[in-house]
Amino acid sequence: MVPTPYYIALSALLMSIGAVGVLTRRSAIMVFLSVELMLNAANLAIVAFARQWSAKGVEAAMSGQAAVFIILAIAAAEVAVGLGILVAIFRNRVSTDVDELSEVRL
Amino acid sequence: MVGFIILAAVMLAGGIGVVTFRQPVHAALSLVATLLALAVTYVTLQAHFLAAIQVIVYAGAIMVLFLFVIMLLNVEGQQPAPHLQWLPPLAYLTALLVAAGITVTAFVDRSPLPAADQVAALQGGSAEQVGTALFSHYVLAFQLVGVLLLTGIVGAVSLAQRGGGVRGERRLQESPAETELSHG
Repeated sequence: MVPTPYYIALSALLMSIGAVGVLTRRSAIMVFLSVELMLNAANLAIVAFARQWSAKGVEAAMSGQAAVFIILAIAAAEVAVGLGILVAIFRNRVSTDVDELSEVRL
Repeated sequence: MVGFIILAAVMLAGGIGVVTFRQPVHAALSLVATLLALAVTYVTLQAHFLAAIQVIVYAGAIMVLFLFVIMLLNVEGQQPAPHLQWLPPLAYLTALLVAAGITVTAFVDRSPLPAADQVAALQGGSAEQVGTALFSHYVLAFQLVGVLLLTGIVGAVSLAQRGGGVRGERRLQESPAETELSHG
């Protein structure tokens, strides 16, 4: 059995890779893909901790997996709305460059 | 351990591909590889139901939606010079530091974690187990997620309507030629 810290380290690496993508990519779609990567890194950490806490009983073990299930549903809703926003932006202005979408900025 | 190393290598390679590939389609397929490796990792973590959901919902539905939008928008892989020249190196450095910090903390400080000697409580993380937890202790969260999904669907439909929304109508009145051009 692989110890939990290895999974946490992998999750941290994936999360940082996703953060780099969010910070450095300019196309809104690529930023979105990187956000998905970060979401999945968090899910990996939660599932690893759920296995670790299974020694405390079924209740503690299943809480983590139920949380991941809810996060998956939220991610699906987020992708639907986000891609809708992307399509709407692209329709109004042909580019999805996040550096040019600065109208909300004060 | 060997299996974990292989899975971690696939996931990290896929993640780096997401960040570095210039073509959005390549990046999306790279993310699919990462998500599938993550599903296999869930199996090794005794979360079989979540692994199935990961393949069906994430690698299936969500990534298909992404690929649809990428092909619909026809975004090319142009990556112009970044606005802020100092941003990418700083981003890489910060991410490396954060990952190193979390890793060191995870390996050094394990005091509050119980000993994971019995994984039997997970019982493979079957659909029955997860469903029991969802519908007993987390039924409120489950219902709220249902409302959220409904809201998301309504929002996505109203956003994606052609010329829908206040902003689109205003643009149409301002410059009809430009809007028609972007409508293709």
